[in-house]
Amino acid sequence: MTQLLSLIDTIQHLAPSQTPESPISPHPLELPLSINAALKTALVVAHESLVKLFKRFFEEDRYTVRIASNTEEGMRLYRDFGPFNVVIIDYDAPQCNGVAADYRLLQTSGRNLASDILKIEPSQGIIFAAPAYRSPGDLALPQGLVHIPVLIDITLLPLRTFLTTLEVRRAIDALTNPDKLRLMSSASYRIRGLGRAAHSKTAEDLLVEAQLKTLTGDRQWNRSVDFVRHLTEAMRSIADCWKKKEGDQETWLFTEIVKVNAEGEEISPLDNIPSSEAAADRSLIAMEEVDGIFSEFGDDMQATQVLQGTYDGLTPKQIKQKYGLNEKEYAAAKKRIRMKLSRTNRHNGGKEHGF
Amino acid sequence: MDFKTSHDGQQRIMNYLADSVLELSDEEILAEVRESGADPQEVANRADYALRQAADTWESENERLSELGHTINQRYWRCIDGNYHNYCVRCGLPVSFATATGEMEGGAFDGSCPENAYPVKKREA
Repeated sequence: MTQLLSLIDTIQHLAPSQTPESPISPHPLELPLSINAALKTALVVAHESLVKLFKRFFEEDRYTVRIASNTEEGMRLYRDFGPFNVVIIDYDAPQCNGVAADYRLLQTSGRNLASDILKIEPSQGIIFAAPAYRSPGDLALPQGLVHIPVLIDITLLPLRTFLTTLEVRRAIDALTNPDKLRLMSSASYRIRGLGRAAHSKTAEDLLVEAQLKTLTGDRQWNRSVDFVRHLTEAMRSIADCWKKKEGDQETWLFTEIVKVNAEGEEISPLDNIPSSEAAADRSLIAMEEVDGIFSEFGDDMQATQVLQGTYDGLTPKQIKQKYGLNEKEYAAAKKRIRMKLSRTNRHNGGKEHGF
Repeated sequence: MDFKTSHDGQQRIMNYLADSVLELSDEEILAEVRESGADPQEVANRADYALRQAADTWESENERLSELGHTINQRYWRCIDGNYHNYCVRCGLPVSFATATGEMEGGAFDGSCPENAYPVKKREA
């Protein structure tokens, strides 16, 4: 999916002019990975004192870094090797070496570099490092740059927060419409699978929860996994957690399970089931839904077999073996199930269950 | 009668469908959403809006904390009943946010971090 491609693109930009032996920057760092093999890259345009801190941080996070001590050098490196996963610019970085900045004047070289980079790559993630300022407002950034996060407190913790947010934003930008539909569809089925344990939560709620868990670091995003897969896995884990938490404690209102028959009489599925099990009511509602799902495929033997196997917890391989389905038949049955249930996902679930 | 199995079976079917979404081609997922009666563009927009709004809120709340001089270690977020809790590593004031709204609250928002006095010699742009 495209957000992985964006990372690959970054690597490809680095590759043509570089060999593992070639110098990677005027100030190469000892890094754990060859820059050509690096999954994450950063450009740091900063004074030496800041570079030390950033070096430590990026080494921990397995980035490879190019470093420039002034904005002219930074621009050259960006033209040659950009885009990067992140560009950190010291707001007070000098324009070129040997020319001391006049701090009585408004410093503009850092912001100018950011503007020039955004002209080349509007989606480039940038962070300003501004340890000499009291607050981000003191930088008086022009309109086109106000979205850039400003690091006043130059410590690792805020930097990590900015960087994670920036990476997640980059991944969101890279999502295509089909990616977004996959996320919503997956979330919608999970919510439907939760039944009442969803507590009126929607597919969007589940999706946002997955993203927030990523931002807080509660759910680590392994960057070798694309963002869509990461979020779908996170949603599965969250949904399981909600389900587990719900446990067997839930109770149902009579009005939630009662149905009206053709004669207008109220009937409850619990009436004919003598059971003392705490989960009986919940499970009966689930059974009704399962019955409804199976009845959709009454005249489709292979789809029913795939459903039954899934219902019984069999793996695709076991399902194919048990019912003698070949790969093509299995895939076709699965597709028919999806198409039919996607309609009922809409009709049964309605807005509150996603679509 | 094994009630639990029937309930888990229903969830298994839905999870199976949720997982198999990733196997669909772009055309297939578009067709599936259309088949469900929804407008693919509208569904995609809703996903986009939800993701961006959550990221915006998260970022702006973190900026507020940063402007107040508080330092939060991302690795210390703890989720309790859907609410995330953390604290400023300098002053210990608490901060929490609800995933439902994404908005943060807590003592850390009441004022500047008392343990993080900005240096007197600060330039102003």
